[in-house]
Amino acid sequence: MRSDGSHGTVGAPGTLRRNLHSLWLLSARDLRVRYATSWLGYLWSVLDPLVMSGIYWFVFTQIFHRSTGAEPYIVFLISALLPWVWFNTSISDFTKAFSRDAKLVRSTAIPRSIWVGRIILSKGVEFLCSLPVLVIFAVGAGAVPGWGVLWFPVAVLVQVMLLTGLGLIVAPLCVMYRDLERTTRLILRALFYATPIIYSVTDLPDGFHFLGLINPLAGIFTMYRAAFFPELWQTGPVVTSVVVSVVVLAIGVWVFRRLERQILKEL
Amino acid sequence: MDAGNAIEVSGLGIRFRRGRRGRRSIKSMFAGSKRRDTKDEFWALDDVSFTVKPGETIGVVGRNGQGKSTLLKLVAGVLLPDAGTVQVNGGVAPLIEITGGFVGDLTVRENVRLTAGLHGMTKAQIAERYDAMISFAELEDFQDTPYRHLSNGMKVRLAFSVVSQLDEPILLVDEVLAVGDKAFREKCYARIDEMLADGRTLFFVSHHESDLKRFCTRGLYIRDHRLVLDGPLADVLDQYNADNS
Repeated sequence: MRSDGSHGTVGAPGTLRRNLHSLWLLSARDLRVRYATSWLGYLWSVLDPLVMSGIYWFVFTQIFHRSTGAEPYIVFLISALLPWVWFNTSISDFTKAFSRDAKLVRSTAIPRSIWVGRIILSKGVEFLCSLPVLVIFAVGAGAVPGWGVLWFPVAVLVQVMLLTGLGLIVAPLCVMYRDLERTTRLILRALFYATPIIYSVTDLPDGFHFLGLINPLAGIFTMYRAAFFPELWQTGPVVTSVVVSVVVLAIGVWVFRRLERQILKEL
Repeated sequence: MDAGNAIEVSGLGIRFRRGRRGRRSIKSMFAGSKRRDTKDEFWALDDVSFTVKPGETIGVVGRNGQGKSTLLKLVAGVLLPDAGTVQVNGGVAPLIEITGGFVGDLTVRENVRLTAGLHGMTKAQIAERYDAMISFAELEDFQDTPYRHLSNGMKVRLAFSVVSQLDEPILLVDEVLAVGDKAFREKCYARIDEMLADGRTLFFVSHHESDLKRFCTRGLYIRDHRLVLDGPLADVLDQYNADNS
């Protein structure tokens, strides 16, 4: 044994510290690859929600006379679009979580759930880095945050739970069934309009209130918006979003345990 | 597990599907491995048991497709068994599919930090050993080159020099070293000798009798997906040669 071998390592294999270290390294790598290979770098994580906000703002305030959402509408849009981009990009990346790094998965014995976690973490970092955009528009539009801003970290936590659960289901299934990649993209597109992003949960017409209750994103986005739009708060969707996220997480853990050995053989 | 053993394998078995074509039902995927429909599958390894003491050097012998590399991957923990258990006392430095851990778009320097970190080295250790790794791989002039621009030989050299700097007590070597040129292979072998002198455990898969004889004292002979002989390397090689002549 080398003399410096025992004290210097990052914890023994399998310990929490070692796993967090691996998680962080892989997330940092994802971010570095993204920013090393494109000169627009940071702008990309901001540009997508900005362009979308611009389009919806133009369509719904200049062309149609909107009866949904709240004032200032651009702040209303961005406050849900930024977390939506986090959700959307994570789910699309889950479909390639194992196949893109197949060689690395086949050669390193880290817990396989880290391959899902690093996507949530790296996209989450990009989400946090895009928040200044929201601040700039809020200041520009004269919107003042209230105590509801305290719901923000809760929303982040619930979204992490939901994403972890979905990732543990989607990532291994996509290794087994390649078709699922396209199906997932289609579902995401439909989900965008089924989620209160360009409108608010309170705008759902009679007969469609169940959408706000079964879709956990409705409650999560309500929490994100609580800082600027306390009048749109609805307790029902928020409670169900937490419940659904916990259930999805539990199902995800179960599915992942069942499929883990098979995806390793399949890669 | 007996703390005195480096590796303990008991009743180990793993199944693979024979063809990719057969449609698999969602139900069978979730069924436990005992209840699963198995007519489309075969046992790539069946009922393999052995224990390894720290410092032992073991060569795995067998024809292609008999499960040697699968055994190595199970010990490395990158495959999970369908039956039995593998227990490894301490970390493993795996020289299997070694070039796989690198990312084409990142530079050599970034890749070294990432791979060494994933194998459990701290920042300080990496900083301390970085120069040694680069000079061993003879890549001093390519530290800021994107990995994908390296030649195949360079890639293997880099991978070997990173993994061989790990402090893990168990070293797994698949037939990766067949790739490099002769001079570099000699250098790798010298490095493995050095690591063995440190008292590490070696698990070695090779078709080259001379390599096996050079490093290993004990042999495992795998035939028809089962462990048929576990004994001194010379006996194992005799049996293997007798079976295949």
